[in-house]
Amino acid sequence: METVAIPTKAKISLIAITKQYITPRTGQTTLAVSDVSLNIQQGEFLCIVGPSGCGKSTILSMIAGLTKPSSGTISMDGNAIHGPGRERGVVFQDYALFPWKTVRENIEFGPRFRDRAPLSTAARRELVDHYIELVSLNGSEDKYPHELSGGMRQRCAFARALANEPDVLLMDEPFAALDAQTRLILQEELLRIWGEELPRDKRKTVVFITHGIDEAVFLADRVAVMSNHPGQIKMEKPIGLPRPRNEGVRLTTDFQKLVDEIWQLIRHDAYEATIGKAGIKQA
Amino acid sequence: MALSRRFLPFVLPLALLILWQAGVSTLQPGPRTPTPGSVVSTAWSLISTGQLPLAMILSLGRVLTGFVSAAVCAILIGFLMAVSPSIGRNLDPLMESFRPIAPIALLPLAILWFGTGTSAAAFIVGYAAFFPILINTIQGVRSIDPSLPRAARTLGVGLPAIIRNVILPGALPNIFVGARLGLGLAWSSIIAAELAVGAKTGDAGSGGIGQMMFVFYAYSVDLSGIIVCMIAVGVVALVIDRGLRAVEKRLLPWKQ
Repeated sequence: METVAIPTKAKISLIAITKQYITPRTGQTTLAVSDVSLNIQQGEFLCIVGPSGCGKSTILSMIAGLTKPSSGTISMDGNAIHGPGRERGVVFQDYALFPWKTVRENIEFGPRFRDRAPLSTAARRELVDHYIELVSLNGSEDKYPHELSGGMRQRCAFARALANEPDVLLMDEPFAALDAQTRLILQEELLRIWGEELPRDKRKTVVFITHGIDEAVFLADRVAVMSNHPGQIKMEKPIGLPRPRNEGVRLTTDFQKLVDEIWQLIRHDAYEATIGKAGIKQA
Repeated sequence: MALSRRFLPFVLPLALLILWQAGVSTLQPGPRTPTPGSVVSTAWSLISTGQLPLAMILSLGRVLTGFVSAAVCAILIGFLMAVSPSIGRNLDPLMESFRPIAPIALLPLAILWFGTGTSAAAFIVGYAAFFPILINTIQGVRSIDPSLPRAARTLGVGLPAIIRNVILPGALPNIFVGARLGLGLAWSSIIAAELAVGAKTGDAGSGGIGQMMFVFYAYSVDLSGIIVCMIAVGVVALVIDRGLRAVEKRLLPWKQ
């Protein structure tokens, strides 16, 4: 396989990515992602927002190496991505915890079973203890996922990804299945664990998929706004809100203005995705 | 209240026993009219002479041999069929056309290939146990949430470790369902197999429990003996199933 050297300093670089699906039943071709180019810098928290079905999860899956783009190149640190790898951790929307493993065993899964440089039992123990502490799951180490609440499962999935010590964290609507209160709490927790006050080169690079505009604005350094049919990036909006951020940020006019600006940009697509073309005239 | 509830399960069997005794007492006594009393005394003599335990051990050995070989084959083939679509597609018609053939229909083949001893009986038993384990293994592997192996891949875990730590434990609950069904079928088909296969070997006891029943039926025409064998088969089946459930509980603690 040829290695394409990409002349860029970006941590992750997407160049002219297109993804087509062929529906097996009808043979129809669907263009899920069309000509998306995107650079993500080291230590940056990037949120991708867009209406349902705009291909934002497909983009994440391609960065993770789980899906191959139909055309275009994705690279990390200048090396093309050909498959999943330890350096890119993923937190899935449905958590994807192993039901037959306890919280502790789930978190140590990567360090224990990964192909490259698995850790010894002692080293693992220390590492896993640290992450259990970090996501406040102490006392629940020996529980199975089905014994946990949604928020605890989410934190466990987060710790599992972190414990494998990736450079990049890919999060696919991780809070979508949670109730509103838990979501607000976990958003703040996420920023704390990510290390808001650390310098950029010490922070993990995060790509966070969401359909919640306020969630994106609250978390991100930059928001990439996507549109539907075909999935394209409509705008990249830097979020200049000061860090560390807390609950109070949501009440500021800057925050409200950013949320509204992004909403105006995607509301047409969102209506179309929700109630179809006929509904737009009334809206 | 608690005491009467504890006795509740015994009411029906007891009533049947009384009915049985009452029914039989209106008939002429003889080998074709077994009474609860004659069954108990036959059972005692069969156990105390060691004939029944010997027959049971022999039959159990055959069942275990057949069952274990069937389980190993079925789990391996089931895995391959579920993981590889091309293997699955090619083997499926073969498996599905063999599946409806009753184990007992293979007896002539088994006798011609393996003679009338243990290997023929084990072959029949293995054949009976194979299909439920195979089908449940395939079902178990296919029912694994595809996001689980995906998650393992994103953690940098390779295929052999994924098979061992994701696919196998994920399919285990279904494999256990198959194993319990398979062991049940294996145990019931050993009787049939020994009735035919073992009919030519040794005297009562040395041919297994099926052979023992055959001798009671064909030579001594002793219905009490047959009933003792039936009860023994049922009790052993119950013990086996409970044992397997206990193993399942130990191996699948997350299922509780």
